[in-house]
Amino acid sequence: MMGRARMLALFVIGLLVIPALGNAQSAAVRMAITRDEGYLNPYTYQTGYPGWNLMTLVYDPLFYPDENNEPIPWLVREVRVSQDGRTWTLTLHPNLRWHDGRPLTSEDVKFTFEYAARVTHSRWTPTTRNLDGVDAPSPQTVVFRLKQPDAGFRLRTLADVPILPKHIWESVTTVAAARAFTNTVGSGPYRVEEVRDNQFYRLVANPQYFAGPPRVRELILPIIRDATVSFTALQAGQIDTTVRTLTPELVAQFERLPGVKVVRGAGFTSTILQFNDEHPLLKDVRLRQAIANAINTNLMVRLLLLGYAVVGSPGYIHPASPFYAAGLKFDASKARAVALLNEAGYTDRNGDGIREAPNGTPLQFTLLTLAGNPIRIRGAELIRTWLKDVGIGTTVRVQEDAAIIDQVWPDFDVCKGRRFDMAVFGWSAPVMSRPTALVDLFNSDCRVGTINIGGYKNPEIDRLGSQLLTTVEIARQKQISAEMQRILARDLPVHVLFYPDTIMAYRSGAYDRWAFQKGQGIVTKLSFVDRPK
Amino acid sequence: MTRFVAGKGVQYALVLLFAVTLNFALPRMMPGSPLIFLAGEDVGFMTEQQRGQLLQAFGLDQPVWRQYVIYLRNLVTGNLGFSYQQGRPIASIIADRLPWTLVLVGTGLVVGTLVGVAWGTLAAWRRRSALDVGSVGVAMFFDSVPSFWLGMVFIAVFAAGLRWFPIFGATTPGAGLSGWPLLVDMARHLVLPLTTLTLITIPGMFLIMRYSMLTVLGEQYVATARSKGVGERDVMFRHAMRNALLPVATVFMLNVGFIVSGATVIETVFSYPGVGRLLFEAVLARDYPVLQATFFIITVSVIAANIFADLLYPLIDPRVRHV
Repeated sequence: MMGRARMLALFVIGLLVIPALGNAQSAAVRMAITRDEGYLNPYTYQTGYPGWNLMTLVYDPLFYPDENNEPIPWLVREVRVSQDGRTWTLTLHPNLRWHDGRPLTSEDVKFTFEYAARVTHSRWTPTTRNLDGVDAPSPQTVVFRLKQPDAGFRLRTLADVPILPKHIWESVTTVAAARAFTNTVGSGPYRVEEVRDNQFYRLVANPQYFAGPPRVRELILPIIRDATVSFTALQAGQIDTTVRTLTPELVAQFERLPGVKVVRGAGFTSTILQFNDEHPLLKDVRLRQAIANAINTNLMVRLLLLGYAVVGSPGYIHPASPFYAAGLKFDASKARAVALLNEAGYTDRNGDGIREAPNGTPLQFTLLTLAGNPIRIRGAELIRTWLKDVGIGTTVRVQEDAAIIDQVWPDFDVCKGRRFDMAVFGWSAPVMSRPTALVDLFNSDCRVGTINIGGYKNPEIDRLGSQLLTTVEIARQKQISAEMQRILARDLPVHVLFYPDTIMAYRSGAYDRWAFQKGQGIVTKLSFVDRPK
Repeated sequence: MTRFVAGKGVQYALVLLFAVTLNFALPRMMPGSPLIFLAGEDVGFMTEQQRGQLLQAFGLDQPVWRQYVIYLRNLVTGNLGFSYQQGRPIASIIADRLPWTLVLVGTGLVVGTLVGVAWGTLAAWRRRSALDVGSVGVAMFFDSVPSFWLGMVFIAVFAAGLRWFPIFGATTPGAGLSGWPLLVDMARHLVLPLTTLTLITIPGMFLIMRYSMLTVLGEQYVATARSKGVGERDVMFRHAMRNALLPVATVFMLNVGFIVSGATVIETVFSYPGVGRLLFEAVLARDYPVLQATFFIITVSVIAANIFADLLYPLIDPRVRHV
């Protein structure tokens, strides 16, 4: 009897004490991921999200994007930029160490960028193109010499490329060897402790981390392929969170679930109607405007995403992005669509319900969309119905990813042209965050506009783009970007349908101090460590 | 007899060569390239030269016939190559996956066949009874239910609802178990996928067995046995069932060969790390070496099962014995 009372007393005391330990470490957090991410080192991780985010728990770039996607100094204590924007002198934090105890110095930084230039990687190697050289005059000092000032240097280079330990990677000299390299000695807040092929990863906190010990002692990342199953597992408490964004129809249910918190914010992933701007008919701006006017994106957001999305801005950039051209939006009107088509001489001459161009070609298009993405498939069906209403015929073709890429973006090289009419397509969140996004997306030179998959050409956009590329001052970057967005809104090389919100759910009992990175979600280093002082 | 064996040998060798060639050609005939999986999502930002370097590193810049010759040479020397996607030797990937698949699919096939045979025999024996009619209905139902749906229902009811079993995986991630607790943990993870797989295996076996049994029961030697006064039990087990088992044995042997190909859908629903999922992911990633290697192993295993069946058949069916 006494024993039980004492137990109860202890239990009550325990309950009182636990909340007081607000800063204590959480034991373990289980966060489901969607697929294998190699060994989680910089040459074997797989996906841009969440792969890069997880890999940077093990490795550190010099800067790191904060909650607003602004790059903040991370391994770096002090930054000096020369007047012409071409020389960047960085001072590293003292006492930086690799997981194996060796010091991290400017030699490692220099090595990393030289390595990236030599051993091809799709994300690191292009960042070295504008580098004239990296010097390491003292163990704590790094000097980057740029060929030209670069608008994206801070975010796309410094806050992106993870620093490699020279003493480990210098013996790995070929691409094939780097991609098969299993070593995971990094400098980050977590060490990779266990990798189980297609089952899970186990990361353990690095107590010696220079910015302070991580707030979660152990991160377990089980791989759950199926979305429904991962949400069921979260609901049943078999995982604590998932890197997936919650599907709209589950939001209300999860918000009511005891012990589960739902956080929601802007999502920087885009869903777009991509035109082939070189198509003999679709290269006509009036036709593209008519198509855009026929599509009710407001209704689309309500029907397909139950309102959990932001309606597309015609300048591509999300209204929540610091680069958004204030006030820009697209008001669709079916009447305007009809008027535009009539004005341009697209009329139905043979009475089959489909308009013909003045030269007799019917306005009949193929619309590609991704299999396995029900929202996009239903979106494509809506587009087909609405275009039919204004006399434009579309055939929806649902195909898997590689087959669509083969037509829209053969060999991932926009210089190789395109063979499609229209596609429901999308870009991942990092594309939106880049200050130079509009150059990548719309520059007519296929070596500069590397993701201009529609083949859009506009000399004015090119001119502003080359200005933007070398502009380092952020206020000026925003000005140029806004000017570009207003031109794009008239030209509509793509029609942005919507940006699905980022909605994430987690069990707050397991861990409750998640940071929310705008447009991306909770998988960020800031969820586990404080920013370095 | 020697001529028979030699003939069969040549036949199987030709089949193998044909299959091996097909394994090489088919993945390459799919539209799309493995480039994004070699390079990652930022492939668009690479220069043509950088992309070229990457293709070169994986031998994809070689003319197709050279790739074919290298592929054949590697097969002969037992080198399965490296996965584009995972950068690991394929032999080690498959070695990781195969045990899970063998346990899951192998057990599913054996249990499914045993239950199907017993049930089919019983239904045929009680032909037109409520048991028989009901059984056929139930079997037809499970035969047409999609396995992913059945798996989802099991997850919803027994894992998420009643919490008797885990929802995903083959072991509890990061639990660090070993010995008995690990075995128990593995068994608990196996229950739902195995039950799903068994339930979709049973109906096929049931229907074959029942039909075969009905045919046999109409044969004259059964009537003869009965008229000789052989007991019902003996008629059923010694005279009818043994003969009725032949078609089931054929289907069983065919399936044995395919065990190594895994159960893609079930492995995906339950996040089970088997060969089926490996295959599926390799298709999506255009991971040619993994596709080739996996198909090769499946081919060899199917052919081996066939050879085994060829050798075994004369023993279980004296009519096909050769002189």
